[in-house]
Amino acid sequence: MALPTAIGTVVIGGGVVGACVAGFLADEGQDVLVVDEGRGAGSSANAGSLHVQMQSRFMRLYPENVPNMELQLPLYPKAVAFWRELAGSLNADFDLKMTGGLMVAESQAQLDFLALKAERERRLGLDVAILDRAQLDAIAPYFGPSIVGAELCANEGKLNPLLCNAAIRTWILARGVVLAEGVSVAGIARSGTGFAVTTTRGTVTAGRVVLAAGSGTRLLAAGLDPPISIPAVAEPLHMNITEATAPLIGHLVQHADRMITLKQFGTGQIVIGGGWPARQDAPGGHAEVELASLIANASLAQHIVPSIGNLRIIRTWAGLNTSVDGMGVLGAVPAIPGLFVAIPGDAGYTLGPLSARLVADVMLGRKPGEDISPFRPERFE
Amino acid sequence: MSGFVINFEGEQVAARAGESVAAALTAHGIRGFRVTRSTAERGVFCGMGVCQDCLVEVDGVPGKRACMTVVDRPLSIRRQRHGAALAPVSDALPPATIEELAVERPELLVIGAGPGGLSAAIAARKAGAEAVVLDERRSPGGQYFKPVAVAGDDIAPPDAQHREGLALVAQARAAGVMIRSGVSVWGAFQRLEFAATSDTGETRRYLPRAVVVATGAYERAWPVPGWELPGVMTTGAAQTLWRTARRLPGQRVLIAGNGPLNLQLAAELRSGGSEVVAVVEAAGPATRAPAAVATMALASPGLVAQGLAYQWRCLTGGVPMLHDMVVSAIEQGPSGLAVTLVGGGATRVLEADVLCLGYGFEPSNELLRALGCRHDHDGTRLVTVRDADGQTSVAGVYALGDCTGLGGARVAAADGTLAGLAAAAGLGHAIGPELARLGRQAASAAQRHRRFQQALWNVYRAPALAIAQVPNNTMICRCEEVRFGAARAAIADGLADAGSVKRATRIGMGPCQGRYCRPLLEALISEATGKAPDETSGFAPRPPFRPVTIRDLAGKP
Ligand SMILES: Cc1cc2nc3c(=O)[nH]c(=O)nc-3n(C[C@H](O)[C@H](O)[C@H](O)COP(=O)(O)OP(=O)(O)OC[C@H]3O[C@@H](n4cnc5c(N)ncnc54)[C@H](O)[C@@H]3O)c2cc1C
Ligand SMILES: Cc1cc2nc3c(=O)[nH]c(=O)nc-3n(C[C@H](O)[C@H](O)[C@H](O)COP(=O)(O)OP(=O)(O)OC[C@H]3O[C@@H](n4cnc5c(N)ncnc54)[C@H](O)[C@@H]3O)c2cc1C
Ligand code: FES
Repeated sequence: MALPTAIGTVVIGGGVVGACVAGFLADEGQDVLVVDEGRGAGSSANAGSLHVQMQSRFMRLYPENVPNMELQLPLYPKAVAFWRELAGSLNADFDLKMTGGLMVAESQAQLDFLALKAERERRLGLDVAILDRAQLDAIAPYFGPSIVGAELCANEGKLNPLLCNAAIRTWILARGVVLAEGVSVAGIARSGTGFAVTTTRGTVTAGRVVLAAGSGTRLLAAGLDPPISIPAVAEPLHMNITEATAPLIGHLVQHADRMITLKQFGTGQIVIGGGWPARQDAPGGHAEVELASLIANASLAQHIVPSIGNLRIIRTWAGLNTSVDGMGVLGAVPAIPGLFVAIPGDAGYTLGPLSARLVADVMLGRKPGEDISPFRPERFE
Repeated sequence: MSGFVINFEGEQVAARAGESVAAALTAHGIRGFRVTRSTAERGVFCGMGVCQDCLVEVDGVPGKRACMTVVDRPLSIRRQRHGAALAPVSDALPPATIEELAVERPELLVIGAGPGGLSAAIAARKAGAEAVVLDERRSPGGQYFKPVAVAGDDIAPPDAQHREGLALVAQARAAGVMIRSGVSVWGAFQRLEFAATSDTGETRRYLPRAVVVATGAYERAWPVPGWELPGVMTTGAAQTLWRTARRLPGQRVLIAGNGPLNLQLAAELRSGGSEVVAVVEAAGPATRAPAAVATMALASPGLVAQGLAYQWRCLTGGVPMLHDMVVSAIEQGPSGLAVTLVGGGATRVLEADVLCLGYGFEPSNELLRALGCRHDHDGTRLVTVRDADGQTSVAGVYALGDCTGLGGARVAAADGTLAGLAAAAGLGHAIGPELARLGRQAASAAQRHRRFQQALWNVYRAPALAIAQVPNNTMICRCEEVRFGAARAAIADGLADAGSVKRATRIGMGPCQGRYCRPLLEALISEATGKAPDETSGFAPRPPFRPVTIRDLAGKP
């Protein structure tokens, strides 16, 4: 497929964020080209957890980011609500279930930590409760003997990203978005009042450019004149999936002190993840599965839900998550008129469509309806 | 005859000690094993642990492959229903870390105990290397030498092919090769790290200094409407029933495919008492390629004589040979499978209890691909890039036999000797004059057998599967029950790589991990895009290459 030589907007990155930005612009009649090199998108690797409560993994790994996480926290329940809205407006089945999420504890100390966390989250508007083992058994009778209680966050849920990505793709193609897959952007130069975007399939001139390239954004932004600093880094992550079983685990399950997410898709398969590392040998290269993560992640899963010990893992994979400073990067770049950044932040699939809508609102001159100033791209200068 | 009683969903089935659950149930006329999401029944298809269509619950443990589970005690068996509920478990194992797995650091790890792997281990051992061989089958020998696993007065004794295999295994043991059977290698990671689980549920990590991969091949798909029906199995599956358990796949057996194995199977099943309805061969009769027959006779007179003997036994047994015809559709009729054959402008329908499909092989190269070994695509399948000694593009990784392309048992054995010597030399062991002579002999044997194979496939030259003509209602992904129509629709939607089609359609997402659908999908995409398939056009190789039970990863309590 030949690329158009000139177009209104080029969106770089065709993950959930780039695709949705393009869709919202196209909904308003704008002509948009999405360029995606088709490698390592978090959006095609992610686990479909709709996260709302602060993930203990990020709090442990990046304690310095906790204030930023709290800053973005109020956006999460809204982002989940927006997924439901999107399912409605696209008339699509995302296998979206608002089951609530459980973060389990194995000791009183862990439960105390959850109680503190829940207290702060409640003040930020989340619907959370601390459950003891008896209360937990009443709603989730599948946990192993070591679990003493949990934090329940009613705002959480899950969806099947495979269904979402397919429906979003159908939507934006129907709106006339030009999708260039397997095409990489090498650089962006300013040209007149717009941009010249150099790709592996020729140069495209555009009035506006959106950087929705996940961790690829860092290099693209650094190559601009003036260079823009967006410290987005790739985080290679590990996932496992089992064969199908009867409905067992309704909730999105996490742990107060260990890295795990555990849930069941509508297919009956159990998806096990939670941030165990994968390996990326070269920047921009593929992410590869590590045996250490497979062993640790899967054995932890049966420790928490013993009956799944009899299930077989049929596949693992690795994908690239994008990590910044505990928050997204959203909006216009003041130093370069016409340039926009759209990076969702931790649990970026959950935040994806809403983040895209906020950026599209800015581009369309509409009020985003949220204060996005904490996420401004120039905060790293 | 020693045996056990199997309770199959309330039915009592007499089983022979040592046979597979699949063999015992098949002999009892049971054809339906796994029950799919759409509640269709599936039966034994590959007979070698690849397709996952024979899944059963054994003594309450789900997800067991009937074809790989040996009857060594009375068993209670149930069909594996898709999405069945799990039994509650009250005790949880503590979370494990990789450091807690048992580790072995053999000098040389050989994966696959077929003629290739065993020959490699013997040669390396002779040169002084310590060699450990892992194989997921219950007994060593691989596909060609798989031994008779049952005993008794009514059991036909081992034939020459069996005896040759037993001799090779004895030679390996005598040389000091450590052979571990019933161990599946399901993970291969860069830096020569391997993960393997035994059929008793023990997981180990292997960190060898060098590895020989000789994992063989499995039969390719022959996608026609109905190829997923119970009673339709590969030629290799039927042969395994007979050669290892002395069981017949059914009374009336129709054999269809391309190549000499189908003829051998016909002769064997006839001798065991099946009625072979016909042998349907995609190629024309050998008399059409006299030059190739002559080359074969020169390269390997013994094999040609054996081939003629099989043909003679078929002819004298009254087995019709239908040349230039292929299977085009399969339906379940009231009294058996109705199999439609086409070719030469004619269409025929034959009825049988069992249909065996043997349309060629696909290399089991997933471990090699995971290790990062380079592969070329020859238009039909991936061929591992390797030198004459089996050294792949990755240091310390040697590969030979059917997993590297195809070549048959004799090429595998000769190449195994070469690779074993090269691996030992690479590990610093001296190759003395006697071993060097062994190497030269192996090199010339490999050449001779390659000439034979080349000529053999000239005789059996047949038109390739016409992917464009496969009807839309044909299953492309057996595991997830996705049909060609869905694959074509996704491609027409603009999805141009296997990974994207997979995510959009679920093709390749099931427990066989795309082994059958992957080459078909690659062919469909290649047809649509005009781009030839290559080593990256399939699905990314991701462990586990055999589904692995979560509990088996957590160590023992
Ligand atoms: C294994 C895993 C599990 C996860 N699980 C969850 C979860 O359960 N819930 C949740 O909310 N989040 C989860 N995440 C995070 C989530 O997937 C990501 O945050 C989200 O998908 C990011 O979307 P995106 O559109 O911003 O970026 P991506 O989906 O990463 O897309 C960026 C795209 O930009 C393209 N690109 C980059 N550079 C260039 C260039 N120079 N030229 C052209 N194209 C380029 C890439 O090819 C890529 O397709 C998970 C992530 C991973 C890796
Ligand atoms: C079903 C079938 C039937 C056949 N029948 C005949 C026949 O009758 N006559 C004939 O001439 N040729 C036959 N062939 C072809 C012939 O067997 C091969 O050409 C020959 O065996 C190749 O030798 P090899 O050592 O490369 O592989 P194989 O003999 O196939 O040996 C490979 C071994 O590796 C093991 N293995 C594979 N993957 C793993 C893993 N991940 N972990 C642990 N172990 C593993 C397998 O269990 C197997 O024992 C058959 C092939 C198949 C697939
Ligand atoms: S028949 Fe057992 S796995 Fe294929």
